[in-house]
Amino acid sequence: MKRTLFTLAAALGFVATAAQAQGTYPTRPITLVVPFTAGGTTDVVARFMADHMGRTLGQQLVVENVTGAGGTVGVTRVAKAEPDGYTILMGNLGTQAASVGLYPKLAYDPRTDFEPIMNSASTPMLVVAKKDLPVKDFKEFIAYLKANAAKMNYGSGGVGSTSHLTCLFLESLLGVKPQHVPFRGSGPALNALLGGQVDYVCDQTVAIVPTVQGKQANGLVVAVQNRLPVVPDVPTSAEQGLPQFQATGWNALFAPKGTPKDIVTKLNAAAKAALKDETTRKRLLDLGAELPDEAGQTPEALAQLVSSEIDKWVPIIKGAGVTGQQ
Amino acid sequence: MGDLISNLSLGFGVALSLQNLGLAFLGCLVGTLIGVLPGVGPIATIAMLLPITFGLDPTGALIMLAGIYYGAQYGGSTTAILVNIPGEATSVVTALDGHQMARQGRAGVALGIAAIGSFFAGTVATLVIAALGAPLTGLALVFGPAEYFSLMLMGLVFAVVLARGSILRAVAMILVGVLLSTVGTDLETGEERMTFGLPFLADGIDFAVLAMGIFGVAEIMRNLDHTEHRDVVHKAIGRLLPNKDDFKQSYKPVLRGTLIGATLGILPGNGAVLGPFAAYTVEKKLAKDPSRFGRGAIEGVAGPESANNAGAQTSFIPLLTLGIPPNAVMALMVGAMTIHGIIPGPQVMTKNPSLFWGMIASMWIGNLLLLIINLPLVGLWVRLLKVPYRLMFPAILMFCCIGIYSINSLPTDVMFIGFFGIVGYALIKFGFEPAPMLLGFVLGKLMEENLRRALLISRGDMMTFLDHPISAGLLAVALVILGLALLPTIRKGRDEVFVE
Amino acid sequence: MDPTVNTPTAGLQRGHSARSSFGLVRGPQNLVAGATLVLLAALALWLTRDLEQGTLGAMGPALLPRWLAYAVGLCGLALVIPAFRKDGDALERWSLRGPVFVIGGILAFAITIRPFVFGGLTTPGLGLLFAGPLAIIIGGFATPEARLRDLVILALSLTPFCMVLFGDLLNLPIPVFPQALTGLFPADWSQKAVLRATAIIMAAAALIVFLSSRRRRRTVQVDVTDHSGRI
Repeated sequence: MKRTLFTLAAALGFVATAAQAQGTYPTRPITLVVPFTAGGTTDVVARFMADHMGRTLGQQLVVENVTGAGGTVGVTRVAKAEPDGYTILMGNLGTQAASVGLYPKLAYDPRTDFEPIMNSASTPMLVVAKKDLPVKDFKEFIAYLKANAAKMNYGSGGVGSTSHLTCLFLESLLGVKPQHVPFRGSGPALNALLGGQVDYVCDQTVAIVPTVQGKQANGLVVAVQNRLPVVPDVPTSAEQGLPQFQATGWNALFAPKGTPKDIVTKLNAAAKAALKDETTRKRLLDLGAELPDEAGQTPEALAQLVSSEIDKWVPIIKGAGVTGQQ
Repeated sequence: MGDLISNLSLGFGVALSLQNLGLAFLGCLVGTLIGVLPGVGPIATIAMLLPITFGLDPTGALIMLAGIYYGAQYGGSTTAILVNIPGEATSVVTALDGHQMARQGRAGVALGIAAIGSFFAGTVATLVIAALGAPLTGLALVFGPAEYFSLMLMGLVFAVVLARGSILRAVAMILVGVLLSTVGTDLETGEERMTFGLPFLADGIDFAVLAMGIFGVAEIMRNLDHTEHRDVVHKAIGRLLPNKDDFKQSYKPVLRGTLIGATLGILPGNGAVLGPFAAYTVEKKLAKDPSRFGRGAIEGVAGPESANNAGAQTSFIPLLTLGIPPNAVMALMVGAMTIHGIIPGPQVMTKNPSLFWGMIASMWIGNLLLLIINLPLVGLWVRLLKVPYRLMFPAILMFCCIGIYSINSLPTDVMFIGFFGIVGYALIKFGFEPAPMLLGFVLGKLMEENLRRALLISRGDMMTFLDHPISAGLLAVALVILGLALLPTIRKGRDEVFVE
Repeated sequence: MDPTVNTPTAGLQRGHSARSSFGLVRGPQNLVAGATLVLLAALALWLTRDLEQGTLGAMGPALLPRWLAYAVGLCGLALVIPAFRKDGDALERWSLRGPVFVIGGILAFAITIRPFVFGGLTTPGLGLLFAGPLAIIIGGFATPEARLRDLVILALSLTPFCMVLFGDLLNLPIPVFPQALTGLFPADWSQKAVLRATAIIMAAAALIVFLSSRRRRRTVQVDVTDHSGRI
């Protein structure tokens, strides 16, 4: 623990590090609130970004996991925080879009209570079937699902989770109603898939790719435009004749409403720099994430994304009559 | 077999490099020290120490994190024994007899046997992972919701045996625990239950908050009641390490505990929590004189602690072989692995054998290091008991506050330990035991969720629990144990005269 | 818990009397315990009154809590009824001082660690620097043996230890001191430097208080070891 020893030595020797002139943002560490537990996808993305952004800005970004009520506790805290650029948020599809449909008493409005900074990484959704389900590809799966919907079960990471929403989306496209079996997080849901207790699962690349690569479950389709480098054998929804089936989880940075424009610009520049950095890029791509292109790296693009995702998901949620859990 | 040896030698080659050995040691040491702080369990410890590993290579980082995990787990048991505050579900049982031993001046013996039992269990579990990891994965997959529900029901029956006083009171406490576990947003419908509309109750009651209030804070209040009546004879600290008799009493519990813990650890959805409870129940049932339990029986520390550590280790199996985390700590390890660019899954073993086997080898090394670190520390911990209580308890209080705050950064969590402190104090005054309630709380959540899942899948057919053979077997065991516990002859054997 | 430690306690204590003053009640502890369970069950039933019970195939959120509440209520009744028929344990005395100060310390910590809103009031976020000592000193007075000076020394030494351990070495996102404090230090000092400086000042203060009180203390007979290994 050389670092610690050094820190101690520094403490005793009164070495003031990272001296910053007063007045130029940032002069102290920035708190990056992650509204989910440490180790989850959003947290991992946040930590990768924080690592590099901290170096660009000359002040550390401290990740603070404020969990609860499907992430809305942490998001509410940021919405009500001092808009000085020292408290920012890593929100996602669930907290910044789906929550509008899920929680009738939501304490913030994702469209008006935040200054968007930048979308940092998207995680495409996959549909994966258990191994002994008698289907070869997504087309056969659709036919099978339509014929046997009453007997079929799908697992998810919880009511209102991205994995649940994606399956709901598929249901509404196909007009079928299989049984939803919620689990506490993706891990147990996948376990039930491999054990054959549920028939299929829709989930993010990060969670599901290893089982598809390991051929323990049957990867049917990726709900995005292009095939994914991590699972090149799995076709896209367009290839399988259901092009409307597009679903991606995303993780994006936000600041509280009223944060000065120049601070948002500075944070956006730092986030952009992180996505340009080779190591950070590779780390995110290894997760199976998709990174936004130049045009998608602006605050305006994020504002656009938030409002279009709200328009897309809220009717699906309301149509299924789901109220929020995770 | 030859494969196993060559794999293990590859692993030890990696794990014994000077850097990795150093990291394992550091991880164990830091984990122990942080884990000892009341309220800071393995999850919080790993989460807060994750960033420290950022600068390391993946193998080194994972070795260090695994070390932190065992260290924190072990440190948690130390706190349970010394100050009766279980940092996590698995050390609730350790607190029962371990703390009583500490009160009798046998803290050193309790800590020593916990360290030695854990080391033995860790050794066996490492071998199990290395030799049988892949085939045992099947066990995790057989366990669906129906099996899980039956297992949890069996666990709740164990809780009846666990209690010392009247059966009626124990059952009442278990039911209250299960009832408390249903507070919060319903997993299936998303509706809020019994939350009084309070947002911080929406996710239910946090185990750490409940345990710290009911055990930690209530214990302080209770001790303060008796300040004037502390035993006049100042008990000697006694031996620091277990002697031959202690070993004779505990080697069988250690063996049994290891077996139980290792098996339950493989199960998905946190089966490991059941390990210590099951081990304790088995020891109490097998004991010639069950009334010693709860009053400082060394078997009540040796068995559960071994089960605890064995389970902690074998819960890596689903993670390493399937990439599926069976519990919250393992989910965090997945996060840690992905942060270091390794996506856990079946490919890790083939794609990255030096990391895979290096980590397994480091598990054993970590256990050895824990023994080396903790045996000398026993003296230090025991000396801590010499601090006057009037200074000790405010310090415990502050550490509890910091620990709880650090988990979710919510001041309301801190307030809640105060609330549950009062509840726990009232329970003691009313003659209830808090341990069965805590067990009901832990198992209740899992039980309800799996009951509902199983019935969703079977479309409401109760027979599903009997159609699955494993589930039926577990229910039969539960029934037998319940029968034994309720038989009047056994009732007489229980250590308290019934008041009802 | 430990049923052998059942001795009545002296000192500053109030609360229920141990006698069963009504001829009817013969097991007061059972009565109160049972009644509490019944009340708890009633509360649970009331709280779940608006929730769906559902069917076995699709269990509603209220099904299990409601059954549990009935069971808890039954257990309560099973305790209450014999309380009138058989002699049982007396109710233990409740002390007031311990719980009040312990809870006070915890609350003080909770509302000062970061800004806390209740109603229209917002407490200032003072951080660990103040929350820690408050918890120790207020909580410390839970025992009649409390000595302010000792608690101050304890607070002044443990708080900087925790500040350095959690805030500096472990980088835990726990608020350490109010932002205003940075103003007292040279402008070019970083957060960490301020943290360390504050910690050193506190530790030094603890040492000074300790040394200044020690000389006087030596003459007084202090009984520090009398705690019987109970912790």
